[in-house]
Amino acid sequence: MKMKQKLLCTIATGLIAALSMEQAAFAEGEFKGQTLRVKLIGGAQYEPLYALIPSWEKATGAKVNILSRKNHFELDREIKQDIASGLIDWCVGSNHTSFAPQYGDLYIDLNDVVSKDILATFVPNALKSSTVDGRLVQLPRHSDVSNLYYIKSLFNNEDNKKGFKEKYGYELSPPETWNQVRDQAIFFADPPNFYGTQFVGKDEAITGRFYEMLVAEGGAIFDNEGRPIFNSDAGIRALSWFVDLYKSKAVPVGVPNYLWDDTGLGFASGTVALNLDWAGWASFFNNPENSKIAGDIGIIRAPKGSSGKRTGWSGSHTFSITKSCETPKIAASFIEFLTNYDAQMVEARTGLLPTRSKVWDDIVTEFKASDNAFMVDIFKTYKSSMAEDAFTVPLIPEWIEVSNTLWPNLQAAIVGDKTVKQALDDAAKAATEVLEDAGRI
Amino acid sequence: MSIISLKFNAIIQSKKSLPYLLLLPAIIVILSVVLVPLLFSFYTSFTPFKLTKPDTLFIFIGFKNYIRIFSDMAFWVAFGRTVLFLAVVINLEFLFGLLIALMINKITFGKRILRTIMMFPMMFSPILVGFQFKFIFNDNIGILNNALQSLGVTDQAIAWLVDRWLAFGAISFAEIWMSTSIFAILLLAGLFSMPQEPHEAAQVDGCNSWQIFRHITLPFIMPFAFIAMTIRSLDVARAYDIVDVMTGGGPAGRTELLWTMIARTGFDNAQMGRANAMAYVSIILSILFTYYFFRKIIATRKAMGGDT
Repeated sequence: MKMKQKLLCTIATGLIAALSMEQAAFAEGEFKGQTLRVKLIGGAQYEPLYALIPSWEKATGAKVNILSRKNHFELDREIKQDIASGLIDWCVGSNHTSFAPQYGDLYIDLNDVVSKDILATFVPNALKSSTVDGRLVQLPRHSDVSNLYYIKSLFNNEDNKKGFKEKYGYELSPPETWNQVRDQAIFFADPPNFYGTQFVGKDEAITGRFYEMLVAEGGAIFDNEGRPIFNSDAGIRALSWFVDLYKSKAVPVGVPNYLWDDTGLGFASGTVALNLDWAGWASFFNNPENSKIAGDIGIIRAPKGSSGKRTGWSGSHTFSITKSCETPKIAASFIEFLTNYDAQMVEARTGLLPTRSKVWDDIVTEFKASDNAFMVDIFKTYKSSMAEDAFTVPLIPEWIEVSNTLWPNLQAAIVGDKTVKQALDDAAKAATEVLEDAGRI
Repeated sequence: MSIISLKFNAIIQSKKSLPYLLLLPAIIVILSVVLVPLLFSFYTSFTPFKLTKPDTLFIFIGFKNYIRIFSDMAFWVAFGRTVLFLAVVINLEFLFGLLIALMINKITFGKRILRTIMMFPMMFSPILVGFQFKFIFNDNIGILNNALQSLGVTDQAIAWLVDRWLAFGAISFAEIWMSTSIFAILLLAGLFSMPQEPHEAAQVDGCNSWQIFRHITLPFIMPFAFIAMTIRSLDVARAYDIVDVMTGGGPAGRTELLWTMIARTGFDNAQMGRANAMAYVSIILSILFTYYFFRKIIATRKAMGGDT
């Protein structure tokens, strides 16, 4: 007990020291009388960070005027309309690595306003994926990558072990490959009461899932000249994985309509054996008030495809500063504050993945100190995943348009309206048209 | 002072021009908030205008956007589905609205409370209604499937939001649930304003309830119904929020309506020029429905001996 108190004391001292260090980045009352106009992503997961804003206002003397607090898709639309109207009268905007390339030169290169010392504290991969055409257009707030949650008791059950070995000829254990996930999902499925796994099935979510499976199968979305090549053999293998699971009823019949809230709530309902998801759900899954499988959850790194590479579609929620901002120094101070050590610790406690290297270590220490072995496992797994497996979507302005040609065709193959080959060929043709229109190929 | 300015002053000061001068502020406001945006969006439909590339606004590409739309089968399938959606939703809303209005008109106690309760669905945001029905119709954890399975009606997970016709039914149900009360309220207003004499005369003449309803009540309230249909046809032709949340127009375009397609093209893909071209083609639908219902209103009023 004494040992634990000592450890907590050390952590607290460390936090205070870090806080003082971060606050030293701006002088007391430096921006008195100034107002910063911002557009931020809204939603329950993102709000705890904004509770810290008054402390930045108090320290700097500046006021923050939040013009928008919408979900990312609505915010994206609003920003596009601002670009079209030429009325960019705000300084800081929430951004995302998948969206950023679309906005052209709306945002400044942060290398010009954020010091190298501060940038050095970020995970290099997170900064790399925040860079578009050599410009650091966004400062990463937290990152997303998915790993595989599973119900532990299913894998410890002797009948399951025996039955699986008889059917598939190898031992039942948490899957190392996506082919094993397919076998296990089909084995565990007992529709409509229980399903082997599930996947998000619409919008950019299914594009991203297909993309990471494609990469794990050794394929790519574009060739070196930017031409769509996802209708390759690797593409067929990747899409067939989804189609096979859907046809065999190992996934809920409604998955073509699922997004992350559906898969998260489905896994928490205890009716799904294996669930690829982001870390933000971890606390929810392990809380008995929300989840029927609390205390019975295992986590492993996302499995490998046939190329030996793991899936790792990743992105970061970020902050950017507009080119028209008349007070870039204040804006830089604000986004440095929102991504500083303390801010990231606040978000990491809820399961969001930090983008500062030190936070990765300290959050694990904090969870260890509070005997939260589950969250320690979560952060260790996601740390490996972010360091070794994570990759972003192609950072081109037309990505969302290409995605919008792809996902309806992926769905068509999954629900049986088209063959896998036909769906991918149709999508490749439509994506080629998008890229030709844009003058990219 | 020149002759032109003298003439201008004379026009300004003449009595005939006074009404126009007084109306001028309203005309200017209407032109600036309605006509100018309409003309501007019409112009953009002849450009490759992308929201993220404002310079594309000045590139004229003629009818290229329209040619693409006319040769795009997916657009015409969405167009046809929107017509079907309009027909199903408006007819069912009318039937349910009429039923509710007739029932509320009959009761003598709690009429005001019921009228207020009836308005509740209209008070919800369409996005909220979309989320509500998305979870009700969820195949795995949704209330509907769980209830059907618990009651022994089925042992299957019914794919409410995936199957082509069930998904169409689900989005229609959500739309009807939210807006039937518009019909009910307008029809109730018609019933309240109806004179009792024709009813009493029909009763004296020995007509039964169905005959009174068919030949007296229904013709009287039909103009109210056609007004509701006109309003709702414009609303439903632009149906977007509920469908976007529940199915996003999918899966595989199975519930794609004109405005889910237009919004994706215009905002997600930022291709506002092409989206505006789609919107102008889709306006034909609204014009046709509005024209049809106005003709009906005029015909009904004529039949009732009123002015057109």
